[in-house]
Amino acid sequence: MDTTASDTLIRTNLDFLRRHAPFDRMEAEALRFLGERLATAFYPAEAEILVPEDGPPRYFYIVYRGKVQARQVGSVAVTEYSTLTLGPGEGFPIGSISAERPSTNSYVAVEDSYCFQLPAADFLQLQELSPSFQLFCTRYIASLLNQSREQLQVQFSQRAAEQQTMTTSLSNLIKQAPIFVAPDLVTRSALEKMAEFGVGCLAVAGEDEKPVGVLTQSDILKRILLPGFDLTRPIAEVMTTPPHTLNGNASAYDAALEMATHGVRHILVVDTDDKLKGVISERDLFALQRIGLRQIRSGIESAADVQALQRASRDIRQLALNLLAQGIGAEQLTQFISALNDALTRRILELNLKNHDLYGVEYAWLAFGSEGRHEQTLSTDQDNGILYVLPEWADKEPLKLRLLEFAKDVNNDLAACGFPLCTGNIMASNPELCLTIDEWREKFGTWIREPHPEALLNATIFFDYRVLYGDEKLAHKLRHWLLSMTGGNPAFLKAMAANALDVAPPLGKIRDFITDDDPRHPGTIDLKKYGARLFVDAARVLSLRTGVDATSTVQRLRQGGSRIGMPAEELSAMADGFHFIQLLRLRHQHLDTDHGSSGDNRVKPDDLNELDRRILKEAFRQARKIQLRLKLDYQI
Amino acid sequence: MNWLSRFLPGSGPGLSHEQQASLEAIAALPAPDLGRSHYETRYVVVNTETEPMDSGGQRLLAVGAVAINQGLLHPADAFRASLGSAPADALIGLLKFIGRSPAIVYNAPFNQGTLERAFEQNLGNVPDVDWIDLMVLMPSLYPERIAGQARMDAWLGAFGIDRIDHRDALLEALAVAQLHQVALARASVQGLTTPRDLLESQSSRKWLRGS
Repeated sequence: MDTTASDTLIRTNLDFLRRHAPFDRMEAEALRFLGERLATAFYPAEAEILVPEDGPPRYFYIVYRGKVQARQVGSVAVTEYSTLTLGPGEGFPIGSISAERPSTNSYVAVEDSYCFQLPAADFLQLQELSPSFQLFCTRYIASLLNQSREQLQVQFSQRAAEQQTMTTSLSNLIKQAPIFVAPDLVTRSALEKMAEFGVGCLAVAGEDEKPVGVLTQSDILKRILLPGFDLTRPIAEVMTTPPHTLNGNASAYDAALEMATHGVRHILVVDTDDKLKGVISERDLFALQRIGLRQIRSGIESAADVQALQRASRDIRQLALNLLAQGIGAEQLTQFISALNDALTRRILELNLKNHDLYGVEYAWLAFGSEGRHEQTLSTDQDNGILYVLPEWADKEPLKLRLLEFAKDVNNDLAACGFPLCTGNIMASNPELCLTIDEWREKFGTWIREPHPEALLNATIFFDYRVLYGDEKLAHKLRHWLLSMTGGNPAFLKAMAANALDVAPPLGKIRDFITDDDPRHPGTIDLKKYGARLFVDAARVLSLRTGVDATSTVQRLRQGGSRIGMPAEELSAMADGFHFIQLLRLRHQHLDTDHGSSGDNRVKPDDLNELDRRILKEAFRQARKIQLRLKLDYQI
Repeated sequence: MNWLSRFLPGSGPGLSHEQQASLEAIAALPAPDLGRSHYETRYVVVNTETEPMDSGGQRLLAVGAVAINQGLLHPADAFRASLGSAPADALIGLLKFIGRSPAIVYNAPFNQGTLERAFEQNLGNVPDVDWIDLMVLMPSLYPERIAGQARMDAWLGAFGIDRIDHRDALLEALAVAQLHQVALARASVQGLTTPRDLLESQSSRKWLRGS
């Protein structure tokens, strides 16, 4: 044996292996062991590589070039996901070779393919040599998602120094036992206690230690000092109730989100019995994370004009980038973006209310589409509308005109702050979308009764509405009515289901992915149209069918799915798939906007690393799974 | 007359006893059974690294070889040598590695020709080797891909074979070896199940082309 020649060939093997998970993280010695023992075989298209009749597999295979399809055989019913296509770097069979039993799949080359093969005994020895490989094998599918998150963090490692901090649980952040008083304590004594302990936030709790309210320093000025509140009266009369609470298991992210959502600076932390455990202030969180959440938030709240809000809008993008860099999941990230965008929108509304007199008008500013679902990415145009009450004594036309003029200014300001005007004119300034509750009912009702394609499309946008500002009760009334209409209307639900099944996941039978055949975007997949939307549409049908109030896709899946008896693990896998696609979209949009061009949803699978490609495949399989459920339920 | 006799002492260009002994040992190996299946045959893919000479023609710098045994390419079964200051040793090493296996090249007129001139020059004679030229065989095996004789990169491209470094004799042999695996897969389907079938197909093909 010529050692230098062998070394050269081994090195070419190693170069290949290092580009693919899990070998890219394999210990050097184990990798060398593997590289030395891999023989290369060629399989022409349609050649069988391994079949159950072969008995316990004699080799572990790694696809070197080409495509290999795993086909389920035997007693298992042949469903549409009984096949799985493996590409370069993917190994098989993992289960049967470890268990030394015949493979349940047959593996066939679907195109001319080269495979590495490793004798079974060496495969088992490799697992002993390499803890990482052993882990990979035992957690084969389950570990894919985690690896991707880790990889994402590594990508941004310079900026990810604080990556762990925001996942710290609140119970770990509490510095001292909570300072609290009873609700019937006179206000003067309560204030003395605040001064004594030097706290900016006083919790109020009953004898059972369950918090009932909270009083902060800024409340003292507005509610006690200026109005001349009688200090002998009980604290319960001036406190904020109910207080914002979170369980001690919640993370710092959750607290930051809660604060951003409700514009508060303190969160009461409770245990599983709802007993008060401590107080977390915004400052506690900022000590953890130097991202300017507070600056953005206060910048928004104190903004005097659109220019100031434009700055805040840019800051929101930067914050999102930082959070992405820290490896935060898509779910929290989109919620953050959503919460801050909500605050921004509210401030724009407030500023415009100074120029438009809407005093005494009952109305709600509605967000539709992805904004309504809390799923905004960074290139979302505005979708909004108004729901209002026409008082008996009022004339409709002048009132509506006032609302429309107000809405027009708000729409323009939103556009100036980075939310492009909606090309489809789904905006509150559109007279068709500035309606009384009866008019909205009529509109919705028509779509439900006559579900032609356009009505269905409208339903997918407008039924995801949410109140951003104004009277929430109005919107709840409309929601309850809507759910009572849809829940008992199988024909409409079937039409919605058929609509949701219009687009299939872009999984190829032979190739991994079916990419767009639009010549302007060769080799890309629109992850909104062919990815996120598959989950969103299916979840909507589920929520309308089972009467789920929530508008977010994951909540709809979890709540609606469990109401029809889908196993929790299955729903979690679907939620993970959806989140991963959202994460890819966000990453893609960030990378693009970093370079100045506008973000879109077109991702080239070829540009993804092997692991992300695999997880994307798995995510699409989850989409297919939920679609299959719709197909079965509605006989489509 | 055995080709070995041409290497008998005194006939070569000053080969040492050791070198002579090595050549004798190679020649003493049993002749290969060319009628066995591809799977039972060890093929050796050979490639040369050359540079142009002032006088025209090519000077042999190095040789690289990769075996295909039981249809598999294994990193342990590989050989590479530079001719350098001891060209005879390098060539004897190559002959040892080949043993009596059928040898695969792409473009025999060039590779086989260069090697045979080097054997002649450094060992004093040309050993008998069963040369199989993929440049001749491939168009008859895969006429639907490329109809006539083509450059090697056309075939590598047709089967997506990476060319890691075309100047390196060994890595280039690796690419040719992968091409030979492709050739073997189709040859069996066409009823060319043994090395002898390949040799015969090649000579009839050459004959048809009138070469």
